[in-house]
Amino acid sequence: MAAVENFVVNTDEGLLPQADALPPELPSLPPGEWMKKNLFSSPFSTILTFVFGAMALAAINVLVDFIFSDERNWTAPATNLRLLMTQAYPADQYIRVWVSVGLVAVLTGLSTGLWNAGDALSMKRISMWFMTGGSFVALVALLAPFDSGRRTTWLILAAVVVGIGLAIWFGLGERRRSIFVRSIYVVFGVLGAIIGSLWVVKYGNYALADGELVADPDALVAPTTRIPWTILLAILVGTYFIGRGLAGKVAALLKAIVMGAWLLAPFIIVWVILRDPDLDWDHVISTDIPMALAFGFGGGLILYALTKPGLGEIGKIVAGVLLAVAAFNWVAAFFGWYPMLQKARLSFLFLAIFALAAANFAGDRRTRLQLVWGWLGFMAVVHYMATMANTASTLEIQGDFFLGGLSLTLFIAVLTLMLSFPLGVLLALGRTSRMPIFRVLSTVYIETIRGVPLITILFFFSVIIPIFLPSGMGLSETAAIVIGYTLFSAAYLAENVRGGLQAVRRGQFEAADALGLTGSQRTGFIVLPQALRVSIPPLVGQAIATYKETSLVSIVGGFDLTRIADKVISAQTDFLGVKMENLLIISFIYWVGAFSMSKYSQKLERRLGVGER
Amino acid sequence: MAAPSLSTTQQQRPPLYRDAVVVKWALQLFILFLVLFAMWFLSKEAGDNLKAKGISTSFDFLSIDPGISLSEGIDTEPDTGGRALWVGMVNTLRLAIAGIFTATILGVAIGLARLSDNWIVRKFGNVYVETLRNIPLLVQILIWAALLGGLGRVALDNGPINGWLHISNKGVSIPRVFIADGFYQWAVVLLIGAVVGRWVFKQRTLKKDQTGEDTFPLGYAAAVVLVFGIIGWFIHPVFGFLNAPLQAISDAFGAIPEIAMQLALSAVAILFSARWIRNFFAERRTPAGTARLDDDDWFRVIFAAVGAAFACFFFLALWPGLSSWLINSFSDLFQVLADKFGDTPEGNARNGWPVDAKRPDIVQAGNFPNYGPAGLNMTLGFAAVFFSIVLYTGSFIAEIVRGGILAVAKGQTEAAQALGLRRSQMLRKVILPQAFRIVLPPLGNQYLNLTKNTSLAIAVGFSDLVQVGQTVGNQTGKPLSVFAIWMAFYLACSLTISVVVNFFNVRLKIVER
Repeated sequence: MAAVENFVVNTDEGLLPQADALPPELPSLPPGEWMKKNLFSSPFSTILTFVFGAMALAAINVLVDFIFSDERNWTAPATNLRLLMTQAYPADQYIRVWVSVGLVAVLTGLSTGLWNAGDALSMKRISMWFMTGGSFVALVALLAPFDSGRRTTWLILAAVVVGIGLAIWFGLGERRRSIFVRSIYVVFGVLGAIIGSLWVVKYGNYALADGELVADPDALVAPTTRIPWTILLAILVGTYFIGRGLAGKVAALLKAIVMGAWLLAPFIIVWVILRDPDLDWDHVISTDIPMALAFGFGGGLILYALTKPGLGEIGKIVAGVLLAVAAFNWVAAFFGWYPMLQKARLSFLFLAIFALAAANFAGDRRTRLQLVWGWLGFMAVVHYMATMANTASTLEIQGDFFLGGLSLTLFIAVLTLMLSFPLGVLLALGRTSRMPIFRVLSTVYIETIRGVPLITILFFFSVIIPIFLPSGMGLSETAAIVIGYTLFSAAYLAENVRGGLQAVRRGQFEAADALGLTGSQRTGFIVLPQALRVSIPPLVGQAIATYKETSLVSIVGGFDLTRIADKVISAQTDFLGVKMENLLIISFIYWVGAFSMSKYSQKLERRLGVGER
Repeated sequence: MAAPSLSTTQQQRPPLYRDAVVVKWALQLFILFLVLFAMWFLSKEAGDNLKAKGISTSFDFLSIDPGISLSEGIDTEPDTGGRALWVGMVNTLRLAIAGIFTATILGVAIGLARLSDNWIVRKFGNVYVETLRNIPLLVQILIWAALLGGLGRVALDNGPINGWLHISNKGVSIPRVFIADGFYQWAVVLLIGAVVGRWVFKQRTLKKDQTGEDTFPLGYAAAVVLVFGIIGWFIHPVFGFLNAPLQAISDAFGAIPEIAMQLALSAVAILFSARWIRNFFAERRTPAGTARLDDDDWFRVIFAAVGAAFACFFFLALWPGLSSWLINSFSDLFQVLADKFGDTPEGNARNGWPVDAKRPDIVQAGNFPNYGPAGLNMTLGFAAVFFSIVLYTGSFIAEIVRGGILAVAKGQTEAAQALGLRRSQMLRKVILPQAFRIVLPPLGNQYLNLTKNTSLAIAVGFSDLVQVGQTVGNQTGKPLSVFAIWMAFYLACSLTISVVVNFFNVRLKIVER
């Protein structure tokens, strides 16, 4: 841990020799000795080398033959890229998609800069990447069913790449081991190369005009997307350097803002940017804003009063009354006793929760105001989002939901994770609780959900939930599916968190008790932070699982990446029955996401030293 | 959270709303009440809505003809809904068992490959794991289905084909080995052989322990079973006499009155509960002989007693049919066994071979030629799900195996080297036994996942339980009942797997001082 921090601080200047900070990478064995050690160490190993070498060559040959065969129809996914990404999102509103991606780029750039994320890579390693990559391209060129012209082009490309690698290797000499580059620069470089290629190569995407495939230069992927992608890359790099340039108080403030923004971003992107609510300003001024102000300031006053030191039992009683009022509002909603805006019910519930936590903020004026400011900010967000989500959209789309393809996949994955996390933590606490009824309820829930396949739960929620709802209450299919995913994922998440809770030493509990903390303080301030820290790697694993499991919505009727690749494109008249190409493309998309998350989790695991302690 | 009400010294009791025990139990009962209320409310709403929509929650569809035909299974034209679901369950289990078996072998191989000294083998394992576990299983299933669907069509020549293996876009067909007339008599001979073999094994092990010489206990035992098998192959018809005693047992079960069975079940439930409570008290007893129980302990005791009472109520009043069902099942079971030793349905004595085999054949029943019943056929759907599930789960098992081997303390390897063990001996006798212990629980989890993942077969139309249930539920308009059956089946599967894993886990546990 300490070593990592050291080295992050010391690589601040990027391309400087790190002779005193980071030990140079060990020299590798000369090729002959390396081969002797790794390929021919024993007769058995020699046999293995030849058997597996032949197998690997055969596998690459089959794959390359398959991919570059004339029978493959790669125009199918190329023409339908937009369908795969956003399904039927209106083309004239597409700027909204770019703005959403831009928001993510800004946040990514700022976070990597502010937290100084990423390792350093030695020039030796980079040079080896160039050389292996180039050799692989050459191998593909030799094995693929190319004509001689195309083969020559590929071989020249391979030679150039290998040449760059060799130039670094011999140009730097032994210094290649002690010169380090931030890995983030390598990422920027790779992204730059990909985006730069849009300006050079006209990627062959065809437009469909009058039912025929036409090579329409205006509709190629490259010219229509190169300007936005370039701007996005500039934003990413720019915000990275802004984030890195900041220090001290500004950086600390910005860190807090960025963290909050990450939490809010999915909601803002989906319900504000992409959905484009058509605000009714009369209603906003007459109802929404006054209501938000009333809850904000009324609630703020109550909370300020409740944080008065030495309030004793009265605080608890007031909080209890507020909770009862909030609960009663929901019961009344079920029976239809009196009308109330949903966000008012939500606000009452949140006020009760804040009031329950108020005792922890009793103290001087500053501490008390912290809670009040938190409440005001929270209310602003809740009321803004509720107003936006409740307003009709200006988008004209067919079907149930305006997202589709990759955007639906990501939407379900992110929303499921955000919603199931608190539920999972509660279930884990319930399962390890010393109160038997909570324990039994949580255990039964977790074990039941974990015992049945996800697809049956999705069927249950998409088909059967309308039966359970009271008359007059409706639920869109997407919402039903997200609820199903959330309840499913929460059970698994709870088990991961439980693992973390069990890893917290008994002494920590005892120390908290000795300090006189209450049960909720002990859980919130002592136990959970340590438990969650330990369970970060399994939680990332759960995130990967959820991301992959989103493909199951295609079975219950959602138009996600899998459904579009498997059913929608292969039903188009031009690409009738073309499946394999689309499936391979989307498996690559899924793979990129899952693989980068798993690499990140492995890095985290090393950082947290879970394996070593 | 000590219980103040049990403190021995006389203290001023706190007010009711500050008494930890009171607050704790009030909160729990309140939440329990909320949960029960919500469930009651939702089921009431569901009942009303179901009535309005004309959907019933009964299980009568189990005995009604669902009017569907299945793509494959032990019965493709089931005459009742229950039969259809049963076919689905058998298909799911076939897929799961075959998958678990193959995925384990593959996973262990890849896991060992990732730890190999050889660079190519190691890279091969890495690429395999990192590729396959990061692509959703459903997408892999669809890819396999697309790949297999592109294979050649079945040729038109009827009758047994000239070969052992046939691959086409209808699936894969290999020779089928099947149970013939004399199998059960032969199985009795094998069973006796196994008992004798076990005795020989113990004798040889004892001798090895006493004298230290290598006595090959396993080899001897296997040889004994083999000899019995060969002799039994020829003499098995003599065991036909077992028909009579089995028939008698079946009749005896059939004669048990229903009330006796109900009382016996209730007695078992009470006995179990009483034993548990007695042991619980014995555990909590202090050396002085007095039991000190806090409120949590009392909850468990009361829970056990209430559980027993509920079980009695269940057997006697709630579902009295269970007892007669159990009686009939036992009676039927022994009747079936007795029939296996009597004459064949055609009225022949059971003198034939125990097992027989046939090669694949191709028949044209409808418009298109397909594989006939002679060979062991793997349909396209089965093959797609099977291959993808094995490769996918194999990548996870490989990671578990690798992790388990790496988790064996380094000192163990060094100690084995210091003893002068060869590398293979070290793996077999020191590292793998310890790694197996670490690997077992997550491995059980993977088996469970594999079983649940077979439900994705619905995407390629393979008739597993979920696909059949979905069809039956839609046809008969009883999705809720089907969901209950799904849950019961999959929970039973996971319970079985965790019982098996726990059994080995307990047996393999290191006995600590």
